[in-house]
Amino acid sequence: MNEHQQILDPTASPAGDGVENAPVQARRSLRRIQIATLLGVLGPGLIAGLSDDDPAGITTYSVLGTKYGYQLLWVLTISTAALVLFQSLGARIGVVTGQGLAGLIRQKFGAWSAVVAILALLLANIGTTAAEFAGIAAGFELFGISRHFSVPVTAVLVSMLVLRGGFKGIERILLVLSAIFICYVAAGVLAHPDWGAAFKGLIVPTMPVTRDAVVIATATLGTTLAPWGLAFIQSYAVDKRLTTKSLPYLRIDVITGALLTGVIGFFVVVSCAATLHAKGLSINDAADAAAALEPLAGTLAKDLFAIGLIGAALLAASILPLSTAYSVSDLTGSPAALDDDLRSAPLFYGTFALVTVVGVALVLIPGAPLVAILVLTQVLNAVLLLPLLWFMYGIARDRELMGAYVAGRRIASAYLVAIAIIAICILSLGYLSLRP
Amino acid sequence: MLLRQSVNSSLFSVAGLIGAPVQDPQERDIGRVVDVVVRWDRGVYPQVSGLIIRIGFRRSFVHVEDVADIARRSVQLGSTKVDLSDFERREGEQLLHKDVIDHQLLDVDGARVVRAADLYLAHVGSRYWVVGVDVSFVSFLRRLLPAGMRSRATAERVLDFASIQPFGSPGAPVLLRRPHRGLQRLRPADLADLLEDLGRPERRELLSMLPPESAADVLEEMEPDHVRLLLGDVPLGQAAALVAMMEPDEAVDALRDLSAADRTDLLAQVPDARAAELRTLLEFPEGVAGGIMTTRIVVLSTHETIRDALDKVRAQRRESDVDGLVVIDEDGRLVDDLSLADLIDNEPDTSVGDVIGPPYPGTVRPDAELDEVVEQLIGNRGSSLVVVDGEHRPIGRILADDVVDALLDSDTERRWPWQLRGPVS
Repeated sequence: MNEHQQILDPTASPAGDGVENAPVQARRSLRRIQIATLLGVLGPGLIAGLSDDDPAGITTYSVLGTKYGYQLLWVLTISTAALVLFQSLGARIGVVTGQGLAGLIRQKFGAWSAVVAILALLLANIGTTAAEFAGIAAGFELFGISRHFSVPVTAVLVSMLVLRGGFKGIERILLVLSAIFICYVAAGVLAHPDWGAAFKGLIVPTMPVTRDAVVIATATLGTTLAPWGLAFIQSYAVDKRLTTKSLPYLRIDVITGALLTGVIGFFVVVSCAATLHAKGLSINDAADAAAALEPLAGTLAKDLFAIGLIGAALLAASILPLSTAYSVSDLTGSPAALDDDLRSAPLFYGTFALVTVVGVALVLIPGAPLVAILVLTQVLNAVLLLPLLWFMYGIARDRELMGAYVAGRRIASAYLVAIAIIAICILSLGYLSLRP
Repeated sequence: MLLRQSVNSSLFSVAGLIGAPVQDPQERDIGRVVDVVVRWDRGVYPQVSGLIIRIGFRRSFVHVEDVADIARRSVQLGSTKVDLSDFERREGEQLLHKDVIDHQLLDVDGARVVRAADLYLAHVGSRYWVVGVDVSFVSFLRRLLPAGMRSRATAERVLDFASIQPFGSPGAPVLLRRPHRGLQRLRPADLADLLEDLGRPERRELLSMLPPESAADVLEEMEPDHVRLLLGDVPLGQAAALVAMMEPDEAVDALRDLSAADRTDLLAQVPDARAAELRTLLEFPEGVAGGIMTTRIVVLSTHETIRDALDKVRAQRRESDVDGLVVIDEDGRLVDDLSLADLIDNEPDTSVGDVIGPPYPGTVRPDAELDEVVEQLIGNRGSSLVVVDGEHRPIGRILADDVVDALLDSDTERRWPWQLRGPVS
């Protein structure tokens, strides 16, 4: 028998080694697991938040800082608070109901609401995607690379990454990419701003009553609290089948992402306020801002600003087609995901392609009214926010859908205040625009 | 074409009926249809029990017996007396517009989750029945059209309601309705896909419709991550019952990622013997032999007979699959690994000691890496592999399909979308 033993197990060693180690191993794996739980959910909120600092966002913040200096920084404070509020709500709705926003709107508010909301979201997202690729084009052109090269190449690259790696794969890349936002902080510090005035601007709400000021305030709200970001965070929670147990982790993630968005926006405003505003210059977009920074704050500040612009655009361009495709296929009642193949989810991949291709085409076709499209998109995003936030509010207050996680009276009034502020902005914008 | 036309004209679209005028016997408009109330009795088709109509600011219930006729765009009442008390839902009742249309349903025959774009009623005998559910996107868009066109049934992709498992409206008792019989016919892998496609309350409802042992089978087909989340989402008692019924190696995969506190709570509810088994497996890290083995093995001693062996296999089969039998000596050390074929090849009275012999199987230790497991498994030319401890006592068995799973897990992230498997048809 002992001969068998030797034959069967040439590596036989003194007793019990595996067993003795076990408790230590168990303890170590426990700690690893809790960190892993956090890392497992850490990311989507951060990405959803930070991708609100996309080229459209950076442009808006740059204009805000260049035109009004530190005065309108408080708008950013309000936007960030609203972002924290509604991103957490989106995550919570996704986790509790296990359904995407489009499907829920269809279920609760009926066919009309769902179709109109998703159609508007589709248009706004195509426009926003064009804005992202325009940002990529402008960013690379600052380094002398033609848009006819940079835009198609990044579009193919980003699509491949998203479609091939699945979101899990690209998520890591995106997180690394989002570190690029440090550039803005650096650019802000290099501009030597007046910190006292900046902090005063953050808290004290004053505002010139002109159409331009209202436009920029509304645009800031609309670009920070982008509709697609809200749809994205919810569908992410659904797709991962996160449950209420992961909610605390997800909330940390979402709030961190939202606050960082605000912080980065702050540094963009500050770097423009300290330089361009102080010199009385004016700009049209973020690339202008980067170029204008050069003589005032040095080549490094300009380069950092441009790199930040490209990184931000890549981040958002990765998420937008995906999020749109999810919303559209969710509307039909059969939400598709990246693990479905082309034949079983034609609408999903069709939407993905439509958003990407049209977005790229708008940037590359000579003579396409890009600026008009981008402005319209911003307005559409802001207007779309109203019904979308209202739907989310309705879902949050629905005891049948949310069960124990239904929004209490206090948080519900916070939602209403935020919705009211956005409504006031849009209404006064409409009034000031139509007034002769 | 004609068939479709005649079918379409004899069906009433529920979405088209909503908002239709309600007339009293003198053909005066008295209100509008708000919703259609059905009752799920024993039959496969739900029966319309009445309508909710809006009269002024009130929502009143009209019993179906008081309805003289339902036409495509109007409802005729047979009696002038209308109960003006507000509608209150009774047990077992559902509102088609509020609770069913645009909500998730289970198409049991097609094994998929659908959203109802419209429902169709048919007038059979003296009653109205829900006979079909329309799931096409076209029909969904039709509802955006003006009232006259909206009510025309466009039976594009209509499913027989007999194949539908609806879900309870939130707050309404769920277990009033029997689960669809077809659910039992679905393969665990299909049910797992369904669970993944459903919203959270619907998912919990489907899970509670399944008998615990089928539910456990379904969980074994899901990704460990999703099983972990699901276990955290159902009542503790149910989670424990599921864990106890799953194959130990699959259960451990899910338990592994649970937080320490949750795992302790859960295992406390699992029967002791099973909990001890799971705790043992949990001590092995993921991705090594101990992490993918099952501890359910059939053990024989050399002086037993083939008949004894067959009895043991039969007993074990009731709980889990048997792929082979380990033979041990007096000290509990592994001697040989017999396959089921070995049992068939020999007479029942033969002693196990006479059957064993070279070639002796290769084995692995619980801390062996996946590569080594694969190597030994191939070397054995069998469908499973025995795991032994430092004393060479058998402690578990690794089945080939678990090795395949483990290999796939380490590979899935790198695949192109068009290489991914579509739904198995």
